[in-house]
Amino acid sequence: MTIPIVPKLLRAHLSELAGKNARIDGRSQWEGRKLVVEHSVLPRAEGSARVRMGDTIVLAGVKFQIMQPYPDRPNQGGLMCSADVRPIAGRNWEAGPPSPEAIELGRVVDRGIRESGCIDVDSLCIIPGEKAWQVILDLFAVSDDGNLFDAFALAGIAALRNATVPAERFEVGEDYSLPVSKTPIMCSYHKVGARFVYDACAREELGGDERIHITLGDDDNVHSLQKGLKGIFSAEEFVEIMTNAQTRTKELRKIVDSL
Amino acid sequence: MGGYGDVKMIDENGLRMDGRSPGDIREITIETGVIPVADGSCRMTWGTNEAIVAVYGPMEAHPRKIQRQDRAVLDVAYNMAPFSTTDRMRPGFNRRSREISKVTKDALESVVLLELYPRSKIRVTIEILSAEAGTRCVGLTAASVALADAGIPMTDLVVSVASGKINDVVVCDLNKEEDNYGEADLPMGILPNSGELVFLQMDGDLSQEEFKEAWQYNMDAAQVVHGMMIEALKGGDSQ
Repeated sequence: MTIPIVPKLLRAHLSELAGKNARIDGRSQWEGRKLVVEHSVLPRAEGSARVRMGDTIVLAGVKFQIMQPYPDRPNQGGLMCSADVRPIAGRNWEAGPPSPEAIELGRVVDRGIRESGCIDVDSLCIIPGEKAWQVILDLFAVSDDGNLFDAFALAGIAALRNATVPAERFEVGEDYSLPVSKTPIMCSYHKVGARFVYDACAREELGGDERIHITLGDDDNVHSLQKGLKGIFSAEEFVEIMTNAQTRTKELRKIVDSL
Repeated sequence: MGGYGDVKMIDENGLRMDGRSPGDIREITIETGVIPVADGSCRMTWGTNEAIVAVYGPMEAHPRKIQRQDRAVLDVAYNMAPFSTTDRMRPGFNRRSREISKVTKDALESVVLLELYPRSKIRVTIEILSAEAGTRCVGLTAASVALADAGIPMTDLVVSVASGKINDVVVCDLNKEEDNYGEADLPMGILPNSGELVFLQMDGDLSQEEFKEAWQYNMDAAQVVHGMMIEALKGGDSQ
């Protein structure tokens, strides 16, 4: 990703707005953008979802492969999560191997889903030591207007929860729904004008400082955390966003679970 | 191509496996403005093919060595998303995608009025979200709609269609099975207002007569698809 020049005017404008407890697109500090989650939108994927948050649009597709289990875990299948932000998603994203930003995106989303234990890797085993399912979750950005992290995480879990294991095509039994026992949800907060806001848009990301990503499970357990970009935050600030994340993840989980 | 001529793909009534007559094309939908952050965009479904295209620019061409003093450069990339095929498509470098990107660029450079934007760059990104057969045609057609949606001046739109041969019968717009087991494939990129061509490929085996028939099928289909492209660009979806 090419890092655009941050106009001093934008930063000044954002901090002036923050002083008045306002945001550049009129939202309040903890307000998310209009959200639409749809599933089964990709005909060639075994599970898929499209998430739209304002002008940010992402897709998630689930594919399956048969793998040989790792020698030290003969009874387990695998989960792989990869994110790619290709030049279609915005003028600052460039072609080529995944950028550090795209790799961070994929890995943070992966950790939240993996560590929640929502996919029981033991259930992915077909023949111990010989055959197991590898679940591959591909995250694809269509339009980047900020906060790809939350959009990817939401699309990812929605796609997994609606995935079918294509056992017939691989001649290892009948098709069945992929068991997904939990719904981990990520919430991201950006420091904009010296305070944290939820669900930053592209201009807030551009003129802001550090960001913090929190993934919570069904029981509010913490499954992944990530602090990104330059910036310093206090324990009090963290408590505030963690409290907000507990409320917000519950609302989002209801949406995903009702699909 | 070839070697599979014994797979029966035309029934006794002369209909194809998906019920189409030899000259019929698959169902098509076209939408514009589907990528809010892009300057122009298009989503096109053609059978179970789905392509989305974003156009960015004209913008600064960098690095400077790619700049042309007398015209804009087109940066065209065609890519298949990992979930676009039955078996997952591994992301990364791919000779097929490189070739399709190149011939698509060659086709689009023939219609875009590049000399209006010296030293700048126009970026066209084609992503195949679902592949059936004929993705290069869908990509090129959708790219010309996205360029028009971005307000980039062009001499004409480009309509790309492929015809081919299955069980010794010439048919228009091959689907997946027909493409896999057929005997020939002739994709063309047509300027619908003049009937001229900006893109042409072919592989397989066609007699001179069959070739003329396939050519004509493509020309006729181009007029039909062109009507839908115009409708989509005028506003609203085209079915």
